[in-house]
Amino acid sequence: MDNKDNANPTILTASELPTRQIKKRKTFASDADAKFADAVSRRPLFLSDPFCDVSWSDGTESEDDFVEEPIDEQEIYDLISNITDPEHPISLGQLAVVNLPDVEITPPPSANSDPHALRRVLVKVTPTITHCSLATVLGLGVRVRLEQALPPNYRVDVVIKEGSHSQDDQVNKQLADKERVAAALENDTLKGVLDKMLETCA
Amino acid sequence: MPPADTESPGTGATASSAAAAAAAVKLTALTPFKPELYDRAWQSIPHPTLPLIATAHEKSTTVFSLSTLTSHSTLSGGHTRSVRSVAWKPNLSPHKLCLVSGSFDSTAGLWRWEEEKKATGDDLEVEITAANNDNSSDKDDADEKDWEFALVLEGHDSEIKSVAFSPSGNYLATCSRDKSVWIWEDVGVNEDDDEWETVAVLNEHDGDVKAVAWCPDFGDSRGGKGRYSSDVLASASYDDTVRIWREDGDGEWVCVAVLEGHGGTVWGLQWEPKPEGTRFPRLLTWSADQTLRLWTLKEDDDEEEEAPRHAFGGLGGIPNTMRRSLKEEWECTATLPKAHTRDVYSASWSADSSRIASTGSDGVIAVYGEEAAPEAAEGAETSHAEASVELDGDVQMGGSGDDAGKTKSASPSTTWKVLGTTDYGHGPFEINHVTWCKRYDMECAPERRGVEEMLVTTGDDGVVRPWQVL
Repeated sequence: MDNKDNANPTILTASELPTRQIKKRKTFASDADAKFADAVSRRPLFLSDPFCDVSWSDGTESEDDFVEEPIDEQEIYDLISNITDPEHPISLGQLAVVNLPDVEITPPPSANSDPHALRRVLVKVTPTITHCSLATVLGLGVRVRLEQALPPNYRVDVVIKEGSHSQDDQVNKQLADKERVAAALENDTLKGVLDKMLETCA
Repeated sequence: MPPADTESPGTGATASSAAAAAAAVKLTALTPFKPELYDRAWQSIPHPTLPLIATAHEKSTTVFSLSTLTSHSTLSGGHTRSVRSVAWKPNLSPHKLCLVSGSFDSTAGLWRWEEEKKATGDDLEVEITAANNDNSSDKDDADEKDWEFALVLEGHDSEIKSVAFSPSGNYLATCSRDKSVWIWEDVGVNEDDDEWETVAVLNEHDGDVKAVAWCPDFGDSRGGKGRYSSDVLASASYDDTVRIWREDGDGEWVCVAVLEGHGGTVWGLQWEPKPEGTRFPRLLTWSADQTLRLWTLKEDDDEEEEAPRHAFGGLGGIPNTMRRSLKEEWECTATLPKAHTRDVYSASWSADSSRIASTGSDGVIAVYGEEAAPEAAEGAETSHAEASVELDGDVQMGGSGDDAGKTKSASPSTTWKVLGTTDYGHGPFEINHVTWCKRYDMECAPERRGVEEMLVTTGDDGVVRPWQVL
């Protein structure tokens, strides 16, 4: 598996997976599209820089900003992009499982509204393969991460991005079920998997 | 964040056009029960007769006194995972308490509390009040001794979501993520003999069974038609349906109806506590689809005589009564006006006022009232026309076409209105449960204690909050 010019295994592995997806798309996409895809895949690479891993943590700078500056999509993305994939030692950002354009906050954070008002955060996750049996675990990791990190007036909805998974509805329904999520967190096996995924977010 | 009292925009318009038959309702937050539980609490169930309310939270149950609004006792140590649901066993002597807890550890626990001292004429209520007058910290330890974890009911494969006693207390229903409903029968020779037998395992739901509810006993056999015993059970599921179960003459529990119409998980259900006249109670259900619905049994008064008119009459060799007993026809007769923007997790239908309260993920507490629809509704004001469209548009049960007129004439036409809503009932947190219960606290005028109704909400913030309803 090791590649010869692999100076930094983390980065290289990261560059591999998104590329594989791009190649697949390339078969029916123009060069312009490929360029765009390149740009997309570069952003997660940037984030995956080992030094960034530390500074992207939510705790340090945001504490005081919660009230004054509303949480925006980028901040939500930063909270979840460092979650580690349950199968690979790679972040969900690097794998493009979570993508900035697939994070939506309603009402939008720009509005100068009541900071205590309810806000809905909708995250569409894109499992790496269509029959990914771990789609539920991925989604659960994202939901749990956001529920732990965001103030209580944020309602987190995690869904599978349309067309990316064959059992969207089933997975979405599970992820939306508060009781199931609560019970899952008391399941030691599942909790172990989740803790491992979220280890890289602290 | 202080809870704000606000009327939803839609409510105001409706209310102004109404004939003020149902007065607007305002909720005022009272002091929460002490101590606060700090972590998610799932539900709070009032004792059927005594001034006690039991809250399921984490791995334990805390019983609060409605007189002092403080903790009376804690039931802990019986479960390895969260307690999701509790139920009080009804019809016990006033010196005994019995409670069942349903847990994510897939078991249900049966707990008993017995007053140690010989009764001196004081009833439990007095004892509880006295015990709580000094809020000493060692009180809990003393009380915990009085709860005995008497029995564990094992059988479900995964989390138990809800537990419920039949009106007599002889049956207990439990339901689980394993898609089944279990019915347990109390076969002990006396009340203290804790022996329960599984009498049925109902496996027809296609998803988690979220809640079970027994039909109240009205002291008659309405709806039973002699073919079934009086006990009726309803179950709500992740499969978006509600099922109604009855026991046939041979001790078999059968599904007599599937109620389809909700567009999401049905989180819970409650039977109408005080049906009009001798009508069979309606069923209230609430769902992740953000709505609350009312379902009505189609009752044919003359069916015994006219039995052969049914298609079943043509089925040779099978007695008519048997064939017809297989199914009941239920239809959705109302969808309550929309008051929620996310999952409705809980609702409660008052036996006193017949008002319904609901709450859920949006932190809104809504109160609804039913009133007679104006007789000459046709072609009248727009608001009335809209209301009836809403009702008609939501009839989901099949096969109601020809009988629609007949059903309408049998059931008086009514509409439901939102009487008031309160946003942010638990600040920014989700509210998991709401229930009506009687006030016994000191702030309530003495002559109103045990009479005046309040609401109690239970939230993700671990707060159990009483609300004065004005």
